[in-house]
Amino acid sequence: MSGRGMRGAAAVVGVAEQHYRRGEAPHGEKRMTLEAILAACADAGIDPRQIDGFVSYAGGSNDGAILGGALMIDELRWSNMMWGGGGGSVAAAITNAAAAIATGQAECVAVYRAMSQADTGRLGYAKYHYGSHFLAHGIGSPAQICAMRTQRMLEHGGVPREAMRSLVLAAYHHAQNNPTAQGYGRPLDVETYENSRLIAEPFHLFDCSRESDGAVALILVSAERARDLRQDPVYLLAGAQGAPGGFSELIDNDLGEQYMTAGFGPANNGKPGVAERLWTAAGLGPDDVDVVQVYENFSGPAVAALIDHGLCPPGEAAGEFMTVENLTAPSGKLPVNTSGGNLADSFVNGLNLAVEAVRQIRRTSPNQVVGAETSLFIGGPMAPLVSSVLFGNEDTL
Amino acid sequence: MTAIEPATEPWGPAPDGLDLPHWEGLVEGELRLQRCNACRAWIWGPQAICGSCHGFDIGWEKVEPAGTVYSWHRSWYPYMDEYAGRLPYVTVLVELPGADGRRVLGLLVDDIDEDPRIGDEVVGAIELDEGARWPLVRWCRVRAGSEGETR
Repeated sequence: MSGRGMRGAAAVVGVAEQHYRRGEAPHGEKRMTLEAILAACADAGIDPRQIDGFVSYAGGSNDGAILGGALMIDELRWSNMMWGGGGGSVAAAITNAAAAIATGQAECVAVYRAMSQADTGRLGYAKYHYGSHFLAHGIGSPAQICAMRTQRMLEHGGVPREAMRSLVLAAYHHAQNNPTAQGYGRPLDVETYENSRLIAEPFHLFDCSRESDGAVALILVSAERARDLRQDPVYLLAGAQGAPGGFSELIDNDLGEQYMTAGFGPANNGKPGVAERLWTAAGLGPDDVDVVQVYENFSGPAVAALIDHGLCPPGEAAGEFMTVENLTAPSGKLPVNTSGGNLADSFVNGLNLAVEAVRQIRRTSPNQVVGAETSLFIGGPMAPLVSSVLFGNEDTL
Repeated sequence: MTAIEPATEPWGPAPDGLDLPHWEGLVEGELRLQRCNACRAWIWGPQAICGSCHGFDIGWEKVEPAGTVYSWHRSWYPYMDEYAGRLPYVTVLVELPGADGRRVLGLLVDDIDEDPRIGDEVVGAIELDEGARWPLVRWCRVRAGSEGETR
């Protein structure tokens, strides 16, 4: 099985996002979700009552029956929550929607996520997610878990810390062209980055993503239907999710050198792993990618994810490749996080990055990559389950 | 040593009793990890099944608390109230040759202003913080060239 049966079968036809400083959302998660879904339907030119599927991930209590009931949709056919991985399953949620459409289980699926500090607190303090054998030793947040894996990538794997810094500087560079980014009007230079306080060593302040209140929604339909809608279809070329058995699983005893990866690399016993399955299903490879949105709750996991996908060389060479010049639009070798990303735009559990991946194919990004035809979105590196999805325009089918 | 709030620590034996022998071992002065009675594979963190042979007959065996630093991290931010009084603190992930390379977490409690290095040899001692319910293994680096002596 090549997994290519879904290639181009579904497309993103509507997107919407709203974000606020954390704790400052004007409404709760349910209302913000409904607003985002309505806005995404308006973007697509679709009647919201035609939505028959809902997919989310990571958390939240508003399932498909609740939202479908509120919207009084015609019929609910698909209501899924991705299991495990937190933000790692963000791209998997999009693939799940496409799978429903490709197999005829649903025809119009909304992928959504909302976060309001007032409703569900903050992810950075999700300490009771971790078991006794972490908490007992002062490890109670994703930042610390990712810091330890990153430290091994730097010290044992030989990746220079400057690779992380370039990713951060590129994000802030892009945010200066995005008026809705939380880092807009706040450019970042090397000195400020280096002098910022340590948070979870090796992460300085600017290596850590912000958390926002907000909501994001994407609407997917079949490729055939997409061609009759308002926007240029953004086709899902491939999606893959998973992790090597035992990766992370909150036990820190994954196999071989998996500890310093982001979880997309080769799996156990010669199984290919998430990244290779993605490329196989797309019939494309890392050299074919025009622009990347990579989930960066922290800079280190994002660098590891680029390495896992073959987009950046491992070890010392990562430092030579990961320069601000290479990572910035309009014409860097591999522009990343072109709206500013989780670091400098907003963080609604990473689904905002998918919206930017779609904008690049529509040619409406605030930092448009010249001639972008393929657009990669990588979700939740170093989470227990990770995922990525590759989008393309009509010419890539 | 900075006191940890008494009897409020959110760690200790799991409600299902799976890892109770580990915590009992610490009280009795031993580091105990899981080991499959059938295929003899070491298992950590605690599991109900052996990932190597899928047997459920899993025992607990004493492991020498000595190994090497697999990775490390210094916390500067009070993510946990229980550890806020120790900031900054260093957590090490220690690879244990006595348990076929299984890795355990623990605080490094020697001169933590000096960065550890991956591969540093460390030895653990079981310590009970004032007011705490459960003892924990805490780690110190072994000074190069003077076996057994900690720096």
